[in-house]
Amino acid sequence: MTAFKTFFKILNKNKFIVIMYTVILIAFGGFNMQTSDSSINFTASKPDILVVNNDEEKGITKDLIDYIKGNSEAVNIADNEEARNDALFYREVHYIVYIPENYNEDFLNGKNVNLEIKTCDTAESSFAEMLVSRYIRTANSYREIYKDENGKISKENEEKLISKINDTLSKNTEVEITSKLDTNSLSKATFYYNFVNYSILAALVYVVSLILSSFRNKKIQRRINVSSTTYRKINRELLMANIMFSLWLWGIYVLLSFVLIGKIMFTIQGALYIINSFIFTMCAATIALLIGSIVSNKNAINGIVNVIALGSSFLCGAFVPMQWLPDTVLKIAHILPSFYYISTNEKIATLENIDVSSLKEIIPNMAVMVCFAIIFVILSNAVSRKKRRED
Amino acid sequence: MFTHNFKYTLKTLFKDRTLIFWTFAFPIILGTFFNMAFSNIENSESLNIIDIAIVENEEIKSNEIFTTVFENLSNENSEDRLFNTTYVTEEKAKELLENKDIIGYMKLEEENPKVIFNTNGIDQTIFKYVVEEITQTSEIITEMATKEISKQFVTGNFNIDYDELYDRIIKLAFEQEVELNNISNKNLSYTMIEFYTLIAMTCLYGGILGVVAINKSLANMSPQGKRVSVAPTNKIKVILSSVCASYLTQLIGIAILFVYTIFVLKVDYGNNLGLVVSLALAGCLAGLSIGTFVGTIFKTNENTKTGIIISITMLGCFLSGMMGITMKYIVDKNIPIINKLNPASMITDGFYSLYYYDTLDRYIFNLTSLLIFSAVLIIISYISIRRQKYDSI
Repeated sequence: MTAFKTFFKILNKNKFIVIMYTVILIAFGGFNMQTSDSSINFTASKPDILVVNNDEEKGITKDLIDYIKGNSEAVNIADNEEARNDALFYREVHYIVYIPENYNEDFLNGKNVNLEIKTCDTAESSFAEMLVSRYIRTANSYREIYKDENGKISKENEEKLISKINDTLSKNTEVEITSKLDTNSLSKATFYYNFVNYSILAALVYVVSLILSSFRNKKIQRRINVSSTTYRKINRELLMANIMFSLWLWGIYVLLSFVLIGKIMFTIQGALYIINSFIFTMCAATIALLIGSIVSNKNAINGIVNVIALGSSFLCGAFVPMQWLPDTVLKIAHILPSFYYISTNEKIATLENIDVSSLKEIIPNMAVMVCFAIIFVILSNAVSRKKRRED
Repeated sequence: MFTHNFKYTLKTLFKDRTLIFWTFAFPIILGTFFNMAFSNIENSESLNIIDIAIVENEEIKSNEIFTTVFENLSNENSEDRLFNTTYVTEEKAKELLENKDIIGYMKLEEENPKVIFNTNGIDQTIFKYVVEEITQTSEIITEMATKEISKQFVTGNFNIDYDELYDRIIKLAFEQEVELNNISNKNLSYTMIEFYTLIAMTCLYGGILGVVAINKSLANMSPQGKRVSVAPTNKIKVILSSVCASYLTQLIGIAILFVYTIFVLKVDYGNNLGLVVSLALAGCLAGLSIGTFVGTIFKTNENTKTGIIISITMLGCFLSGMMGITMKYIVDKNIPIINKLNPASMITDGFYSLYYYDTLDRYIFNLTSLLIFSAVLIIISYISIRRQKYDSI
């Protein structure tokens, strides 16, 4: 059991790396978790709109502000232009409306005042603009009805006008939601398990290939060769240790997912996430096997694993959701095992009910990962055999 | 002596392959990943044409308002096109919704429109909103017509031209343009921040070059250092030439990265090249000063020193938004002092202010902070290595 024990001795020296990537997983996985509670009723999206009012807050000005506030998410920004510009750039605010001085007076006197706005051209900004335009259009239309001969709105008509505007704008359309899926929790689970891709590749692959490569050190190799233990036995022990460590790390990440995501993990979807991540972990362990047998320079391993982990995570959608990636990138990603792992996660999130036909979408992906694993094992065997002969 | 040591430090640095990988190649690889992953984000966030369906029944055929509005909003030649509308049977609509070919469909029954979605979302909200707006506008039209007709009656005019009235009201309710003055800045591409943090990372990683170079001249760090120390030359001169050589190496690395990001990845650094270069020079100086500081103050081996610099750099880049752009905003907004002391953030924010703001106040503030930061660290390192003497090591 010398080799087996040595594996864990070296692992113990590198535990900091494993801890660090686990903390990163918790930080990013948890960062995304604090969204609103899940519901199966329709909830309208509320854009983040900021109103900068330079007019007195009364009459039509107040009503416009109330209308915007009722249909948008409240945002808290310091009262200066630089803070507002920053907020717009970093998309904390998607739309800013500036109400000019005397807006209320001008409106009542029949003047059409153009509002100034700032937008960052997202879908939310476009929606915000629709909200603001609709209010103004409605207000202008009713002004036509209530104006007197001079084109002005009298004091007694002002209240009527405002209540009429609100009356019209509060007309709702009936909505029905067909899906019974808890999409909110499922997307949290998908995000977490997609991020696991990075942690597994960066922590597991790095540490394991580091350990395996230290056994390939020429002097160590010679010492092993003169010992009475057979080559086969040492390899078996290392393989066992590798599998144990992979299982252990995978187990911790699964446990963490129960803590961070909660009850959705107890459903069939949850089980599928776990199975999928298990297959991926095993595939990652074989990647480590291959790297450990090819590369013996420790600094080089660090560089190679970093590039593989970051590359797979960026190109396959572990950090940026797959639907936002350009098509060409996704095509390139097909050559990486992570692609099959992450696209399975994305599919699980949309499965309404689990039956044979839905499993048919998932199983081919898992099969591809297993194929990758087999290829990596064969390759690493071939490489180490060749290296042994050269010795 | 200066040129001799300068030349050989350059040679040693360029021959260290691991070092060159992390300071030259790694930022370029990372930048390529960033470009691949982020190039589409902003397009996906903007409003795209929404696929919807309308259930085709007798009622919708006879309802001119609904059909006209959706026809106008689905007009392929219009700039304001919002929807891609298909008229289908209800079964077909359900099927389309399930296959995610549409985001939802509308059904008009007994004058009540109803919209059916699969999930929540901004596209769904917009669809619902447009349907609501049609109902609301119909109400406004009715109100206006009633009001107008009674007005005419009061004035004694019973001979109303209904066609003209109808046209006038429809025009007012539907075609009324609301003009909004867009005064926002044009440079709003926030993924640029990622590339700015990449530049910051490269500048600070340059500190590793400084550590490696200085270690070769310190007696307590390397055999070469011992040899250099017993030589009858001015120590400061030796260290200065090592530092200058690593600064030059760093500048070559950052120049390659700039060329790559500007010409291949099309990163926008604003229009003022001179200011961009000054900021990069100051950024590299800050990286170098961290390198000399760590190299002289910490009495440990080279690996630990490199580790310290990597940790400082990664933490700094994390706080300035490399692993999530919002992080920079959160820190800037809530605990601004952290990013005012963070060199990675000074560099990132400097590029950001050149890109986004027309005024230079913020840029100059960042540039000055970088210079002060570097000066302080360099002075501390200078104090700690002057007059160093060893009786034995």
